[in-house]
Amino acid sequence: MSTKGTHIPEWLKVPFAGITPAPTQKGQDLFPTGNWRSIRPVYRDKMPPCNNACGTNEKIQGYLDLVKRGKYLDAYALIKEDMPFPSVTGRVCYHPCEQACNRGTYDEAISIRAVERFLGDLGQALPKDVVKPGKPNGKKVVVVGSGPAGHSAAYQLARLGYAVTILEKSPKAGGLNRGGIPDWVLPQDVLDREIERLVELGITIKTNTEVGKDVSWDELRKSYDAVILAVGLINPNSIRAEGEDKSGVHYGLPFLRDIGMGTSNVKLGPRVAVVGGGNTAIDCAREAYRQGAQEVTMITVEGTTSEMPCVPEDLHDMVEEGVELKHGLACTAVLGNGQVEALQLHPAKFSGAINASPITINKDAKPERFAVDNVIIAVGQHGALKWLPDEFKNDKGGIKADRFGRLGTTNVFAAGDVVQVGQGQPLMVVNAVGDGKRTAFNVDKVLRGEPLQERMVAIDVITDLARMNMTYFPKFPRVQQLMLAPASRRKTQDEVIQAFSEEQAIEEANRCFSCGTCNACDNCYLVCPEPCIIRYDRSNGLYKILVDYCKGCRVCIEECPTGCLEGVPELDFDTGVVRMDTAFAITQGLHGRQAEELRNLPDRPAKDIG
Amino acid sequence: MAYTELTVWTRGIIMDKEGRDIVNSIAASARNEGKFAQAMENYVDNPDRTNCPTRKYCRVSDSEIENALTYENENPNIVVLVEQTMVKGWDYMRGMPPGGTLVINTQYTPDYMLRFVPKPERLAQLVCVDAAKLADHKWLYYRLGELGLDRLSTEGAAERSKAVAPDIAAPLIAAVVKTTGIVKMETIEPMIANKAAFKAALSELHIMPLNPVTA
Repeated sequence: MSTKGTHIPEWLKVPFAGITPAPTQKGQDLFPTGNWRSIRPVYRDKMPPCNNACGTNEKIQGYLDLVKRGKYLDAYALIKEDMPFPSVTGRVCYHPCEQACNRGTYDEAISIRAVERFLGDLGQALPKDVVKPGKPNGKKVVVVGSGPAGHSAAYQLARLGYAVTILEKSPKAGGLNRGGIPDWVLPQDVLDREIERLVELGITIKTNTEVGKDVSWDELRKSYDAVILAVGLINPNSIRAEGEDKSGVHYGLPFLRDIGMGTSNVKLGPRVAVVGGGNTAIDCAREAYRQGAQEVTMITVEGTTSEMPCVPEDLHDMVEEGVELKHGLACTAVLGNGQVEALQLHPAKFSGAINASPITINKDAKPERFAVDNVIIAVGQHGALKWLPDEFKNDKGGIKADRFGRLGTTNVFAAGDVVQVGQGQPLMVVNAVGDGKRTAFNVDKVLRGEPLQERMVAIDVITDLARMNMTYFPKFPRVQQLMLAPASRRKTQDEVIQAFSEEQAIEEANRCFSCGTCNACDNCYLVCPEPCIIRYDRSNGLYKILVDYCKGCRVCIEECPTGCLEGVPELDFDTGVVRMDTAFAITQGLHGRQAEELRNLPDRPAKDIG
Repeated sequence: MAYTELTVWTRGIIMDKEGRDIVNSIAASARNEGKFAQAMENYVDNPDRTNCPTRKYCRVSDSEIENALTYENENPNIVVLVEQTMVKGWDYMRGMPPGGTLVINTQYTPDYMLRFVPKPERLAQLVCVDAAKLADHKWLYYRLGELGLDRLSTEGAAERSKAVAPDIAAPLIAAVVKTTGIVKMETIEPMIANKAAFKAALSELHIMPLNPVTA
C-alpha cells in the first residue's frame, strides 16, 4: 500500500478525546456531553386535579405545599387570590377537589377543606388582612346580592381598584352563606368577620335595599359604570301537591334563611318530614332536630341513597343523627284540616336520568298515608326576577347571559346560581365564587375596552398515577377532623366539625402528592449522575438543567416523584441550538483552543484527487 | 466519482453495529466491483461510551487509496447520521467539499431538518429516511419520550446475529447507494439481511436537492 501523498493535517495531530485534562483545568469544560442527548429533561408543571376541579380554581397544591413548610401566611395569601372567604368555604364547601384528589384512588383523599379552614381561621385572627384594595380607577360598579357570587365579584373588583357598592335586600349581608347554611356548619361570627374584611377593602354594603323596590332597574344602569347581578335563587320550588298551602308546610331555603337571619318563628311538632334528597334537604332535616323535632324522616324520589344528589359525608352525618330515609316516593297531597296531619305518598321514579328528568308517579298504586306534624319541602329554588326585563330571562327561572356572564351588549353582568341554574353543573358555594371571580375579571375587561377572553381550559390535568413515581409515596391514612357526638349535637347550634390543629394541618398537607408540579423535593438534584442539575436555593421552579452536559440519561425523569419532569425529544427544540466545534468540545478548554486555531487556518480547497 | 469518502456518525455502544454495517457492506461490495475500498472505525473515539457520538469511515476509490493510513476522513463526500438528534450537535460535515450528501435517519422531513444542518451550502442533497419505521425496529427510537434509553439499544447485536444490516442499517444503506451511486445496487443487495426494509426504503426516501456542483 502506498503512502505517497499521505497528508495528516494539523488538527489531526492532537487526539480529540481521551486525554486527561490538566490539573488546572476543569474536566467539565473539556467534555461537554450535551450532544450525547436525544431527549431533554424539561420541567413542565401540569394542572393538579384538585385545582382543576375547584369551582374557583384555588391553587390547592400551592397552599398545601406552603403549609407543609410552615409558611401559613403565604398560603393564606395564595388562597385569597381566588377565594375571598376561605374560613367559610373551609366549612361549607362540598369539596369537589377532594373527590378529584389523586390520593383518593391511592389511599384516602387529602382533607383539603380542613386545611383551607385552618388557613381561613388564621386569616380571621389577623388584625389586618393581607389583601389590599387596588389603586382607585374612578369607576363605579354595583353588585346586587351579597351571597357567595356577589361577595367574590365585589372582592375581586375592589382589588382591581373599582369603587364597589353591594346592594342586599336582607337586613344582614351574606346571602346564601347566612341564609342557606345553618349555624352548626358556619357560625355567624365567622361570616361577619369576612364581611368586615370586605368593608375594610372599601366596599360599601347597603342592606335593606331591594332592586325593583328601593332601586329601579333603570336607576341601577344609569348610576354605575357596570352592574353585576348576583341575586341567587331565592324562591323555593313547589312539589305541586294538593294542599301544599296548609299551615305547617315549610320550604327548605326560607326555613333555613329565617333561622339564619334570626327572624324565624317556626315551631316544629315532634314528627317532621323533609321532602327532597339534596344538600338543602339534608341541612333542613338536621336543623329540624335542633328546632325541637323528635322524629325526622326524609322522603326522596331517588331509589337509593347513592342516587341522591348530595355529599355522602353529610348524608352519613345526617343518618348518624337519627334521620330516617324513605326512598322511591313522591308526595302527592298534603292531608289535614287546615293544619298538616299526614302526607299522601305514591311510588315514583325519575322517567329518565336521575335528577335530570321529569318524575313519573305511579298513581294506580295504593297511596301510603304518612302521619306528620310538619313538612319541609326542599326540592330546589328558582329566581325572583320580576323587575328584570323579559329579554334577559331564561326558561329555567334564571338570567340569560352569554358565556362571559354578560347580558347582551350591555354593561350588566350576572353571576352565580342565577346564571348557572339548569346548566348541568351543581349549584354550590365554590362554583358561585368562581363565577363571581370570572365575571369580575370580565367586567374589568369590558370597562377597560379590552376583548373578553374565553375561559382557559386546563389542557394537561394529571390524573394518571402512572405518570408519577409512586414508590416515593407511602400509604398514609387521612387525618380525621373531630366531630361532636351525634346524640349531643342534635340539640345544639355548636359547630359539628372541629378545626384542625397546626400539627394536624401540617400532617395532612404532607400527604399531598403535588401532582405534576415541582415541589422542590430535590430528588432530581440528588439523582443526576452528572452535575447537570443545579439550584441556587431549594425552591419550586428554581432547578435548572445544564444542557451542555446533560446526556439525556432519563434518570431524573424516571425518578421525579410528582411527574413534573418530562423527556422532550431534543429535535422538538428548533431554537437554541448550541453548536459545538467538534463532537467533544464547545469552545472552552483544550478542544476549544484547538477549535480557535482551526478557525484561524486558511481555507483549503477541496482535495483534488483525479 | 473516482474517490469518495463516507463518514457515518452513530451513537456509541447502543447503535454501534448499525454504523459498522453501513461502512463494512459498502466497502465489501466496492471491492467486489473491483474498486479499492477501506472501512474502519474511528481510533480516537474508542473506547466508546453509551450514546457517545462515534464515527465509522469508508473510502472507495478507482485507484489505489493514497491516504490509507489516515485514521479519519478529512473530506467526507457523504455523511450518514444514524441517530437524528446528532444533526444539532456539531459540525459533522467538517471538511466536506461542495456537492456532498447528508443522509439522516429521521421521521421528520428534510424541510424541518434543514434548519439544524450547519452550513448546508456544502450539500448537493439532503436525504431523510425513516429507517427505524421501515425496518420495523423493535424499539422505535423516535419514541424516546416514552421509552427508556436502555430499551432501544442494539448493544450486543453482533453476538445475537452475524447478519449484515438486519435492522435499521438496511434502509440507510439503500438511501446512500440510491442517492450517491457509490456502489452498484446489485452488488450490495445480496449482503443485506433485511431485504424488505432495504427495498421499501428505495421508494420511501425524502430527497431534498440543494446546491448541485457546477463543473
